[in-house]
Amino acid sequence: MNTPKAASHSAADKPEKTHIRLGFVALSDAAPLAAAKILEFGHSHGLTLELCRQASWAAVRDKLLSGEIDAAHALYGLVYGVQLGIGGPQGDMAVLMVLNRNGQAITLSNPLAEAFNQSGNLKQALASLGRPPVFAQTFPTGTHAMWLYYWLAAQGVHPLRDIRSIVIPPPQMVDALAEGQLDGLCVGEPWNAVAEARQAGRTVAVTSEIWPNHPEKVLASRRDFVALYPNTARALVQTMLEACRWLDSPAHRADISTWLAAPELIGVPRELIAPRLLGDYDVVQFPKRPLPVSFFDEGAVNYPRPSDGLWFLTQYRRWGLLSGDHDDAAIASAISQTTMYREAAALADVRVPDEIRADTLIDGRIWDGRDPAAYLDGFAVRA
Amino acid sequence: MLRVLLVTDTDKPIGDLRQALARLGYDMLAEVATPAALAKVVEEQRPDVVIIDTESPSRDTLEQLAVMNETAPRPVLMFSNDGDQQLIHAAVSAGVSAYLVEGLEAARLAPILEVALARFAREVQLRKRLAEAENELADRKLIDRAKRLLMDRRKMSESEAYATLRKRAMDQGVKLAEVARQLVSMTDLLG
Repeated sequence: MNTPKAASHSAADKPEKTHIRLGFVALSDAAPLAAAKILEFGHSHGLTLELCRQASWAAVRDKLLSGEIDAAHALYGLVYGVQLGIGGPQGDMAVLMVLNRNGQAITLSNPLAEAFNQSGNLKQALASLGRPPVFAQTFPTGTHAMWLYYWLAAQGVHPLRDIRSIVIPPPQMVDALAEGQLDGLCVGEPWNAVAEARQAGRTVAVTSEIWPNHPEKVLASRRDFVALYPNTARALVQTMLEACRWLDSPAHRADISTWLAAPELIGVPRELIAPRLLGDYDVVQFPKRPLPVSFFDEGAVNYPRPSDGLWFLTQYRRWGLLSGDHDDAAIASAISQTTMYREAAALADVRVPDEIRADTLIDGRIWDGRDPAAYLDGFAVRA
Repeated sequence: MLRVLLVTDTDKPIGDLRQALARLGYDMLAEVATPAALAKVVEEQRPDVVIIDTESPSRDTLEQLAVMNETAPRPVLMFSNDGDQQLIHAAVSAGVSAYLVEGLEAARLAPILEVALARFAREVQLRKRLAEAENELADRKLIDRAKRLLMDRRKMSESEAYATLRKRAMDQGVKLAEVARQLVSMTDLLG
């Protein structure tokens, strides 16, 4: 269809690169990529998408850096970890947009969940194990590590001293929990739902309780990719915004669950993917319905707000992953592709939310990005 | 002597490197195949080099160890210009990832990666040949189906059907299998 908007596109706006290889990891929040590919939202913007499933976040990073993939569904924190070269190769990275908020959870082994639910005190429940508890998360600088550490610290448990945290790939976490090698884990869906279905553990917290509407996965790429192919990057953001908008309807989330269940995407039965994608959690554990995963919410989800990224830097400093005087605010604003995002959002007719957003986290502290140094100084539990 | 750990959790035969590397005089630790075992071995036995499939899901386990523990092997930087790093880049494209402790000279790593590289280059060749054979078989099945469609619906003989497909392929300048694919998918569409 030749809409006026499409007609106004001059040759100068055409994508410089039309075939885009998109990396993703087998998680429910890869839904926008699946929707964009299955419904070919890219075609009307001159893009052909190719989805490339990755077995690890390390592979996502390496392939982004080597150019084998152009962009990826990535943990917010992975982008910052690579930018800073924490524990691995360094590269100048870009966050093109936020793909989703919320939708991750913390699962405890059955005995630990029972002890926790009875006493309501995590510290006591952990002490009942009589040995150092072992928790799994997904990547050292990733979101799940930060949600887990924040949640533990807010309850007086030191994440670096009182527990041992290891990284286990999500599909293997449930096995490790079932075999008694883990006492708890923090991971994206559907893996918490899978753990419950296999009766290996109970979901005791969802991440929107830690930080309501926290940033989670982003559309990540190298900064030189954005510089070399600005029209492609903008067209890709437009495409993904349309996919995110499509996912706002419950009927579409039900549809995408069926597709995500396919072996080449997640390979987990639809019944384990759909409920939590639709926001249905166990009513006994969660009498008040928690904020579910959000992909669009009238555009409130997707703006790559630099202060969201800055939060991860405060946590890296808190846990000793980052030290020295980097200009954290400058790092976050160089990564966040706000100008390009605004152009794409205007073309896709998506509202851009306010620059400042203030949220109260689980420990009662308010994060609005205005004074990161004071926010960091206010933490009693730290490395 | 360098202590080398092989992680064998994908179907690529990394374990086969063991003997070749042992012959070169490396101290080969017992290989591991699960992320939990990997974490334990790296912490307790402190290998100098970990060789792991690039597509292994356990790679993130090593990333965590590299960040949390200064003596744990770190992922190799693949994007430098010097010769040894090129070798490492080649190893990675062949499907091998290496993690090594900081300060280990690349020269000492080179023979390990050469062996891994040779092994995996051969593996890649074999896989390619297998994939080609599979494609060929699929193409042949498709052409047979297209022939049968023409024979059923247009009452052609087998050789007429084949000649028709071949003529079309030559006229259009595409592969015979492609013509067959078009015919079959159009027929599926029309029912």
